[in-house]
Amino acid sequence: MDKRSLMFKVNGIERILTVAPNRTLLQVLREDLKLTGTKLGCGIGECGACTVLMDGEPVNACLVMAVKAEGREILTIEGIGTRDDLHPLQEGFIEHGAVHCGFCTPGMIMAAKALLDRSPHPTIPEIKDALVGNLCRCTGYHQIIEAIQAVGKE
Amino acid sequence: MLPEFEYIVPSNLLQACDFLRDHGSQAKIIAGGTDLVPNLRRGEVKPRYLLDISSLKELRQIEEASNKIRIGAACTHTQIAESLLLRSRGGILSEASSGVASRQIRNLGTVGGNIANASPAADTLPALMALNAQVEIVSKNHKRTLPLPEVVKGPYQTHLGPEELISCVIIDKIPEKAWYRFFRITRRKAMATARINGAVVLWRKNREGPIEEIRISVGSVTPIPCRMIAAENLLQGVVPSEGLIEQACSIVGQAMVASSGIRKSTDYKQPVVQTLVKRAIQDALRG
Repeated sequence: MDKRSLMFKVNGIERILTVAPNRTLLQVLREDLKLTGTKLGCGIGECGACTVLMDGEPVNACLVMAVKAEGREILTIEGIGTRDDLHPLQEGFIEHGAVHCGFCTPGMIMAAKALLDRSPHPTIPEIKDALVGNLCRCTGYHQIIEAIQAVGKE
Repeated sequence: MLPEFEYIVPSNLLQACDFLRDHGSQAKIIAGGTDLVPNLRRGEVKPRYLLDISSLKELRQIEEASNKIRIGAACTHTQIAESLLLRSRGGILSEASSGVASRQIRNLGTVGGNIANASPAADTLPALMALNAQVEIVSKNHKRTLPLPEVVKGPYQTHLGPEELISCVIIDKIPEKAWYRFFRITRRKAMATARINGAVVLWRKNREGPIEEIRISVGSVTPIPCRMIAAENLLQGVVPSEGLIEQACSIVGQAMVASSGIRKSTDYKQPVVQTLVKRAIQDALRG
C-alpha cells in the first residue's frame, strides 16, 4: 500500500502530509495533526461527532478518505475560536448550558456554524433540520437549539 | 481501521474506464463513500483498489438536453436538492434528495452511488423512477443506456459489470405545472432508513380536468423500488373520483404483496402504503 502525499489547508494553515490511502480524514486530523476536538463516535456517519467543514460544508470526517481532502479547505472546532476568544456559538453553548458531557459539542457547533453561514437567522425547524445528523445523549437538544437560535438573533 | 487498499484518482472519465478495464474485478468505485466506507469498516468488502470518481468534472454537471435533464452520477444530494433546474422541472427528485439522511451525508452521497448501492430503501430511486430515469453506463469503448428498473437486479445488487461505471442519469423534464409528493415513513423522524417511501407525480390541463399523466412509485416495501403501472393506468386520462383513487391505491397494496409476499409486517404495510399513495394523490390533485 503506497503512501501518498496530501496537501490541504486545515484551519487556515497549509499542510503537507504523507498518509496511507486507507486512513480517514478523521484519523489524520486526530492522530497526525493532534486536532482531537473532532470526535470519533459511531464511525459510520450516523452520530455527527466527527463533523468538520470541507470547503464550508459539513461532512462526516469518518466517511471521508483523507486523500480525498487533497486541495480542500478543512475547518475544525479548533479553527473557529481560541480559549481567550471564543466563537459566538461556543459562548452561546456555554451560556445556555448546551454542553453536558461535551462529546457531541464540537460536531454540533460545526454543523451549526455551517447553518448560520448559509442562513444567519434560522428558524427552529431550520435549526432542527441542520442538526438531524448530530446526536446528543445528554441534553435532550433544547439547550443546543436555544443556543443556536440566540446566536442567530445577534 | 479500514483494510488496506490502493487509492486511485483518475483525472478524467477515460482514465477511469481504462483503469476499470484492467482492474475492475479487484476495484470498488467510491464517490461519496457514505455506503462504501461503513462496508469497508465492517469488512464486508475487501477491494484491492478504490477508484475515486467524485471529482470528475464530467460526472458533476446537471444540464438540460431538450426535453430531458442529464444529472452527472457524482452529483451530491445537496447539489440535486438545491438545483433550480431540478426544482422546477424535476421537483420530486429534489424533494427526495433533500430528505436523505443528514446535511453531512447529503454533502457526500451521490445519485450514482444511490443507484449503484441499490438499497431497497434508497430515497432517490422511487423519485427517479417517477421521472422515467435512464441510466447511462460507460466502459472502455462502450456506452449503454438502460431504464433504471433494468439496472437494479435485487437488494444491493445491480447488473453493472466490473468494467462499467454509471456516468449519468437522464430524467424526463416534467411540466412546471406538475404536482408531486414524495412520502416516507420511518421509525423516527430523522436519520432513519425508510420503511415505506414513494413518489407521486401528476399533471392535468386544468384543476377540474382529467389527469393527463400520473406516475406512482414505491420503495422499501418491495425488493426493488418500482412503478405501479396498473394503478397509473386506472387514473390516466380520467377525471379522478374518490372511488377510482381508492381502487388505484388498493392495486398498489396488492402489487406490493405480489412482489414481497405475505410477511409479518404485511398487516401494517399494506394499508399504510395504500393510504400514503392516496394522500399523495389527493394532495397533488388539490395542488
